[in-house]
Amino acid sequence: MVFEIIDVIISGLINGSVYALMAVGLTLVYGVTKAFNFAYGSFYNMGGYFAWMLLIPLGIIGGYFSVFFAAIPVLFAVGYLLEKVLVSPLRKYDDWEMKVMMLTLGLSLFMDFGYQTIFGPRIKSLPGMIEGTLEIGQVVLFHQDIAIFILSVGGMLCFGWILKNTRTGMAVQAVAQNPAGAQIVGIPKDFIFAATFAISTIMVGLGGILLCQKTFVDPMGSTDIMIKAWVITAFGGMGSISGSLYAAFILGMLEAFVGWHFGMIYVQIATLTLLLVTLAVRPRGLMGRE
Amino acid sequence: MILILGGFYCVMGILPLFFGNTAHIMNILIMILIWAVVASCWDVIMGFAGIFSFGQVAFYVIGAYAGAILSVSLDIPPVFAIIVAGVVTGMLGVLVGLPCLKLAGPYVALVTFAVHMTLIPFLKGPLGRAIGSGGSQGILTIPPINLLGFAFSSEQLVPFFYLTLFLTIICTLILALIIKSYWGTAFLALKDSENFATSLGISAFRYKLMVFAITSFITGLFGALYAHYVGMLSTKMLSMDVFTILMIMMVIGGIGKYPGVVVGAVITVTISQLLAPLGMYRPLIMGAMVVILVLFLRDGVIGLAQKISPLQRKFG
Repeated sequence: MVFEIIDVIISGLINGSVYALMAVGLTLVYGVTKAFNFAYGSFYNMGGYFAWMLLIPLGIIGGYFSVFFAAIPVLFAVGYLLEKVLVSPLRKYDDWEMKVMMLTLGLSLFMDFGYQTIFGPRIKSLPGMIEGTLEIGQVVLFHQDIAIFILSVGGMLCFGWILKNTRTGMAVQAVAQNPAGAQIVGIPKDFIFAATFAISTIMVGLGGILLCQKTFVDPMGSTDIMIKAWVITAFGGMGSISGSLYAAFILGMLEAFVGWHFGMIYVQIATLTLLLVTLAVRPRGLMGRE
Repeated sequence: MILILGGFYCVMGILPLFFGNTAHIMNILIMILIWAVVASCWDVIMGFAGIFSFGQVAFYVIGAYAGAILSVSLDIPPVFAIIVAGVVTGMLGVLVGLPCLKLAGPYVALVTFAVHMTLIPFLKGPLGRAIGSGGSQGILTIPPINLLGFAFSSEQLVPFFYLTLFLTIICTLILALIIKSYWGTAFLALKDSENFATSLGISAFRYKLMVFAITSFITGLFGALYAHYVGMLSTKMLSMDVFTILMIMMVIGGIGKYPGVVVGAVITVTISQLLAPLGMYRPLIMGAMVVILVLFLRDGVIGLAQKISPLQRKFG
């Protein structure tokens, strides 16, 4: 019993860490550009399929190391282009927020069925990053889980460092605080918008590569991921990075415990209930700013 | 506005005289009528009241399931079941609307969309089976509507078409009245500037809750009507392509350009039926259509007509 609970906690922690990586990307893009991206889950699957394509049919040398190395520029390019071509032309309309939601929802449907057309409707499984287990007493830890945890937390710390210490990161923060003011002091606002969108694509794509090893690459699983990422973001407070971090771990744990005790079918219901209760008490989420 | 709608329903009323024997076309016509009302409700809540509700399909499905469960499990005559289903959906609409009143735009979209996503595991799972949703199999034997001893079964489409047309006209009139009345103006004021509107004494709480109640009531009514028309339901109705079809209607019609969505419904249902033989490629095309239409068709067909025609005021 005790060891089962420890297992559940570990799985909650690992899921939570990957969710945190994805939710931080989403909250960043919302905080900076105010674009509500409904195609977020499809970018998660893009990461999964990208890794599958490189590892299984192409059999790339270097395994996951090369996958990560190749994925970051590709995901950045895809995100950057999509923002430039699809989202930024809408910005000049009054009701662009609604239009972006509709557009990204259509894009998500297009991408999901695009994956189905290209890769077939069957789910794909990714090989693990590293084999082997680590045993501490009676608790068994998979090396893969440890690697996923380290990589996603490391990715997040690395991202936090970029945001706080580099020039581009500070420009992103400036645009988030005051777009007009940032433009006055010479920050290229449109570039920052596109770059933020691209960075969030990288984060969710990496999340896909990491988490799909534990689950599967499922062409129809994207809405589930999208809802999870959005619930975490709203629960933590949109635009608040520390809020998303807490929310991701809380929801990862909740999911693990509800799934273990009541069954997976209740996970979504529990998640929604938590979201509704939180928003009823705190309309801007846990750490949201007014 | 009344001119366009009146003309539309007159044409719809005449069409069965020519196509009454072709079941395929009659089916399309009935679906156009049903979707036109559902899409109009969405336009009222999103375009006029400015609430980013993404739960329209969810309310439609709630209405359909409520009507089906009432007439299958509780043996209530379908006519009453449809009305009760509308009331149930209206109450649920208020329940969903309540937390949404306090929230800012995107949060509302999220909460309503989350309701949509939660319905699928709910209806498929043991909780749904307990209230009679039939799990992942769905409900298969929904009786047809029976009015004064006459059954509107799916074999005879023409009587059912006129029943739908009658209900559609009533609901359209209600919606048109709301838009043209003091309420419609209040919605617009709230959408444009909530602070200013409340300072003039317009209660945001009351009007937003009212718009949730009315639109979800009508949507639920038509959901239940649909359930009794097709005779079987499954959670496939909640899939993303149904949602996208509804969204294409809005985009083609133009958001907040009221009679536009009706035109959008005609075009979209026809296209979707024409694309049906393509199978898996249909949602692919639908998704691409949304992206292209949102980018290039700014205000929908009504906006396009306004640009071309000199009679601009007529459509306002």
